[in-house]
Amino acid sequence: MAETTTAGVSTTASDSRPIAARTTDAVKEYGKGDAMVRALDGITVAFGKGQFSAIMGPSGSGKSTLLHCIAGLDRLTSGSVHIGDIELGSLNDRQLTMLRRERVGFIFQSFNLVPTLSALDNIVLPLTIAGRKPDPAALAEVVRITGLGDRLKHRPNQLSGGQQQRVAAARALASQPEIIFADEPTGNLDSSASTDLLDFLRHAVSALGQTILMVTHDPLAAAHADRVVFLADGRVVSEMLGPTADTVLDVMRHLGD
Amino acid sequence: MIGVSLRSLLSHKLRLALTTIAVILGVSFVAGTFILTDTINSTFMSIFATANAGVAVTVHGHPIAGTSGGIGGGANHPVPTSLLTTVRAVPGVKDAVGNIFREGATLIGHNGKPIGGNGPPTFGANWITDSDISPYHLRSGTPPEGPNDVVVDAGTAAKNGLVVGGSLPIVFLGGVEEHFTITGIAGYGSSDNLAGATIALFTEATAERVLDGQNKYDSILVSAQSGVTDVVLRERIAMALPSYAEAETGQQAAAAAEQSTESTISTFIGTPLLVFAFISLFVGSFLIINTFNILVAQRTRELALLRALGATRAQVMTSVLVEAAVTGFVASMLGFGVGILIARALLSVFGSTATTGITLLPRTFIVAVLVGTIVTVIAATLPARRATRIAPVAALSESLPETQDLPRRRIALGLVIFVLGCAALVAGLFTSNSVTLQLIGGGFLGVFLGVSLLAPLLVVPVATVIGWPVRRLRGAAGLLAGENARRNPRRTALTAAALMIGLALVTCVAVLTDSVRVSTNNAIEGTLRADFIVFTQGPDFDTQAAGALAKDPKLTDVTEVRVTPVLIRGSSESISAIDPSELGSVLTLSMVSGDASAIGTTNTAIVDSTEAGAAGVHMGQLVTFNFPQGATVRVRIGGIYTANALVSGYIVSIATMQPQVPTARDDVVLANAAPGVSSGQAEAALQHDVHAFPLLMAMSRSQYRTFVGAGLDSFLNLITTLLAFAIIIAVLGIANTLALSVLERTREIGVLRALGMTRSQTRSMVRWESVIISLLGAVLGLAVGLGLGVVVAGSLHDLGITNVAVPGGNLILYALAAGVFGVLAAIIPTIRAARVDILRAIATE
Ligand SMILES: Nc1ncnc2c1ncn2[C@@H]1O[C@H](COP(=O)(O)OP(=O)(O)OP(=O)(O)O)[C@@H](O)[C@H]1O
Ligand SMILES: [Mg+2]
Repeated sequence: MAETTTAGVSTTASDSRPIAARTTDAVKEYGKGDAMVRALDGITVAFGKGQFSAIMGPSGSGKSTLLHCIAGLDRLTSGSVHIGDIELGSLNDRQLTMLRRERVGFIFQSFNLVPTLSALDNIVLPLTIAGRKPDPAALAEVVRITGLGDRLKHRPNQLSGGQQQRVAAARALASQPEIIFADEPTGNLDSSASTDLLDFLRHAVSALGQTILMVTHDPLAAAHADRVVFLADGRVVSEMLGPTADTVLDVMRHLGD
Repeated sequence: MIGVSLRSLLSHKLRLALTTIAVILGVSFVAGTFILTDTINSTFMSIFATANAGVAVTVHGHPIAGTSGGIGGGANHPVPTSLLTTVRAVPGVKDAVGNIFREGATLIGHNGKPIGGNGPPTFGANWITDSDISPYHLRSGTPPEGPNDVVVDAGTAAKNGLVVGGSLPIVFLGGVEEHFTITGIAGYGSSDNLAGATIALFTEATAERVLDGQNKYDSILVSAQSGVTDVVLRERIAMALPSYAEAETGQQAAAAAEQSTESTISTFIGTPLLVFAFISLFVGSFLIINTFNILVAQRTRELALLRALGATRAQVMTSVLVEAAVTGFVASMLGFGVGILIARALLSVFGSTATTGITLLPRTFIVAVLVGTIVTVIAATLPARRATRIAPVAALSESLPETQDLPRRRIALGLVIFVLGCAALVAGLFTSNSVTLQLIGGGFLGVFLGVSLLAPLLVVPVATVIGWPVRRLRGAAGLLAGENARRNPRRTALTAAALMIGLALVTCVAVLTDSVRVSTNNAIEGTLRADFIVFTQGPDFDTQAAGALAKDPKLTDVTEVRVTPVLIRGSSESISAIDPSELGSVLTLSMVSGDASAIGTTNTAIVDSTEAGAAGVHMGQLVTFNFPQGATVRVRIGGIYTANALVSGYIVSIATMQPQVPTARDDVVLANAAPGVSSGQAEAALQHDVHAFPLLMAMSRSQYRTFVGAGLDSFLNLITTLLAFAIIIAVLGIANTLALSVLERTREIGVLRALGMTRSQTRSMVRWESVIISLLGAVLGLAVGLGLGVVVAGSLHDLGITNVAVPGGNLILYALAAGVFGVLAAIIPTIRAARVDILRAIATE
């Protein structure tokens, strides 16, 4: 049975588990004067450790903006973001880079991989960038669950879109970050490749205790998450624990657009 | 369609900026060369015209064979002073004056050093009193009247602080110094001096004495009575002249001088500079090809869309070529402007004083703009053809397949061009025919083109090897740098090939000069037995100097070497004369046949093996020497010696030459330290002895070696400087390729930054890619340059270049420099890469 709280008020992680990332009164404005857009309009939200959270909402509701701000790719106009205990607003560019390198993993919608590197090199790339040696056991595990096996030596353009996204997911996992951000990771995949990828992410959360925050449009994708946060016009309007495709679709319809 | 390409041109104007710079540099070199030579020519033209303004007719002897050309024309035989009376008697002649004008009066500046140095020549002349005829116009002071009076040209006076009333030491042909008082300062025609040359003017009597002009004039200058035209007067005078003299009008004389000057300047300044300008344009065309290739690649989707919307292949092709033509045209105009600046700068370096402005001929503008535009359009043809091959479906496909395999056709073409180039080079170097220079030039071109076509094959292996330490040192940045350098082998190869050309030429010249250096050193060691060598900065020097050395008890075996031109089978050769009894103690000639002592017999010569081979001369043969002084002597070949870098040509005894050329002076004097005298003491004595002859240089064998080396070094430096344009263009090419690549990889860089790559790692990645490309260029350049240098040096064996030497130090220096070029080229691309906005980069298009 899905729990749903309704709109407006601040929302926190619904159980007592430790918090991986949170925002307080997050506001993001683009442009100035008449052309000003308020992409985030005072968002206070927290995401628990070891949880698979999804963010949903109509196009233009601020999902990507929120994700970018939490991940340290963009800065808030006001309010604060924490990853673990670290407040991102006080970090300079280099410190943000280090934070992304040490604590964060990413899966983008497409063009995730560096075309000149093999799948395996792409997977260990964040470690290479950080000048760290991969933990062989952890790496072997990650590689195993991607199911890529013999294709690890291939370049990205020799892999299917689904395989590429799994390499991107494996890359995000390989550095064992505190939290993985995924912006519509299944956006370019067909339903079976999507299911493969989502199962993979689900497994990472359930079996490895990974924390994932995923933006998606797809109720089927959201159904793989533990919790869904709904945005509209830059605000949190609703959230749901233990979502299913049907309940998510309901809320989405309700939000209308 | 043309509207589309122009709009795209404007939107890519930043990307095209560097292409434009390449064209500008190349064109400015061409334009600058033309402007420079035109300006120098017109300077001379106005000098000759004004100097000859009052001269209706000039009378002189026949041209001396083998001396044609040169600035102001070739030398003529002098005429006896008595001819003046004959000319004056011709009706219509208003006045006629004798003119003595010769090289061989070297002014000594306040610092005790010769004025002019190795620059423009120094002339001595007689002051011409008839001011209607005289090209000299007194600016201050009075004409020379006494035997120790001199008037100097205004240019030299101003430059060297010479003033009326001052004392001036002058060294004459024999090397003897005399002291004069400056009575006046004069201009030549309307200018300060004869285009930079120094002129010292004496009374006629003094000029005759100090300039070897006894009873001889170099020419007779004639003015006409009013009503008599120059042409008529010339005819009348010509009728009256004996057969050894000829007459031309003042205009003819000026025109002949102009023509000879023009061709001399074009041979010594214009043509060499144009060769380097062409090299710059050639290298620039690589940059242009690369830029348009990348632009076409980046616009694939746009062009495919145009094709899908119904644009024909021809229209796509035209759109790219129009873009190229407009770029080339605009850049050429700018290049023309820069060329003007370059010419101005060079003119001030050359120290041309008389120039009031520069000479801009329409031809210069037309050639510059045409050359720049045509080179750009031709270079853009390959990318344009590639653009036509884009299938309309490419507009729809998600990611663009990068076709990287080098087609076999291209490999075959590269091999064929390379082999043809080598063949042409070898044919040009090792056979002698009328198209030798064309063959060598074509050979170089073929080798460069061939290697450039094949270079993509080398990118992956070479980049892997060079990339290995980078990967070890720079981690992820190094890894990605190496991968990026290899990801598009053609682009990397073309970029590196541009640098290869400049470096290969520098390397080739370095190998050549080093080979000459080593060969000369060996020749000095092997051939020169004498401890000391004395030579002059002037043309030759009086036998007095050798006499003084011979009297010095600390020296022995003082041996004079005299050189004089003779005509042998119609070609002018320099023959040397030496005392046979001393030959063995100052020189060691290795003999192919016969014996060096054979010259002890009068009218016997020895000759070097190369000359003998070329002229088909063999032992015992009789060869006819036509001395310019008139005598014809048949000389028997008594020996053939191995050609070397120090001594060459025909050698006879002084006794053989003396009767034909009684006035011959010394070219070189060789000497040994007397027995029991240390070389230090002997050298000190020698330096003391030559002190009285300011133009003489006396050196020990090792000093001489260094002296020769220094000359070679400055030659190498000159060539390197001239090739700097080509190298700068190549470095710009690297910067351009990188900047475009960074643009192309914006998204990738955004992902890397999101994954935790710092800005400095990003910079490092781009910088090392640049270094790898430059080093690839260096590897190719050094390899090709070494090959070319060794072949070219090898071909000069007959000229005494017996050793082919590889200047290892220079090569290491060039490789290091290439690395530094890589870092420099990367400056702007690294800034751009580090500035990539992560969010914008990863936002899906
Ligand atoms: N760089 C920007 N400059 C100006 N406005 C922006 C910028 N980025 C986003 N916006 C605006 O901010 C709002 C939120 O955008 P955001 O990309 O976060 O939406 P989204 O929920 O991710 O939408 P979608 O589902 O279409 O990806 C939109 O109105 C968008 O137009
Ligand atoms: Mg979005």
